[in-house]
Amino acid sequence: MTPSGRLDIRPFACPLTWVKTRIALEGLRQGEVLEVLLADGEPLENVPRSAALEGHAVLSREPAPGGWRLLLRKGQVRHAPAPSWEA
Amino acid sequence: MPLSDAEVERYARQLLLPGWGKVPQDFVRVSRVQVVGGGPVAGPALAYLAAAGVGTILVDDAADAAAEDAAGWLWPPDRVGQPRSSVALESLRGANRFAKVRLHATGADPTAALVCASGATAREAAERARTAGIPHVVAEGDGDGGSVVVVPPGAPCFACAFRVGTGIPPPPATAAALGALAAAELLMILSGASLPMEGRRIELVRGHPQSRPTTRQPGCACGAPRVV
Repeated sequence: MTPSGRLDIRPFACPLTWVKTRIALEGLRQGEVLEVLLADGEPLENVPRSAALEGHAVLSREPAPGGWRLLLRKGQVRHAPAPSWEA
Repeated sequence: MPLSDAEVERYARQLLLPGWGKVPQDFVRVSRVQVVGGGPVAGPALAYLAAAGVGTILVDDAADAAAEDAAGWLWPPDRVGQPRSSVALESLRGANRFAKVRLHATGADPTAALVCASGATAREAAERARTAGIPHVVAEGDGDGGSVVVVPPGAPCFACAFRVGTGIPPPPATAAALGALAAAELLMILSGASLPMEGRRIELVRGHPQSRPTTRQPGCACGAPRVV
């Protein structure tokens, strides 16, 4: 599988790890795949979890030099409902 | 122009909000918001808009700072008697280096308006925004609470949603809540992060917001086709 985009977030910490991943996913079309290089620990826990929560598919995660390689497939973009502000 | 690494870092927490992202942040960045009025409602609203990344904020306020304005975050007690607009500019200068804060002037051509005023000032500012065809939000403190009227493009106008109030200014904390709420509503319009946006009137009653859609009043000029 050839990724449509590649991102290296190994130098970054939360929340920039997921912020940069999210921005990279924004630039892809639905169904396209993003390869993410990330560090062990918090990024490996949070980035796949956040991606799944937003409707993207976590295709694989495997050890790579200096960290891990994650493949994400972009899901359907969802708009947030307008806040109701109701107490 | 894409968001720089510094901008991504600056807005990292905001970029994580549901529906937010690079494109909504960019919409906010290119917007020019005229903020009408000053004081305890406008102060938090101005601070919020600057921190959120509105590209250009146009401060439109002709009054001098009064003692009660010290509750509005931007006007320290030692600046009483000085023009509120210029004091606000100084206070906001350090809020966000990516935001430009200027005095509103003829020809500034805002893309949206936030009205933090009441009475005739609010009605006239809202009507100017409507005739200019730009989205606007009006925050009015009143008694123990107040209201925020949201007028995205095509929605019923402020006059359609208007209700007569008591004319009593709200306590500072309530005014601050109204200003922040109004700024948040305008940001939702500017960013496109929450679609579709409809006109609504949010009443703040003893700290509890209650939102209702606005409806066009029969015969109101806002229902007529816009002449450009």
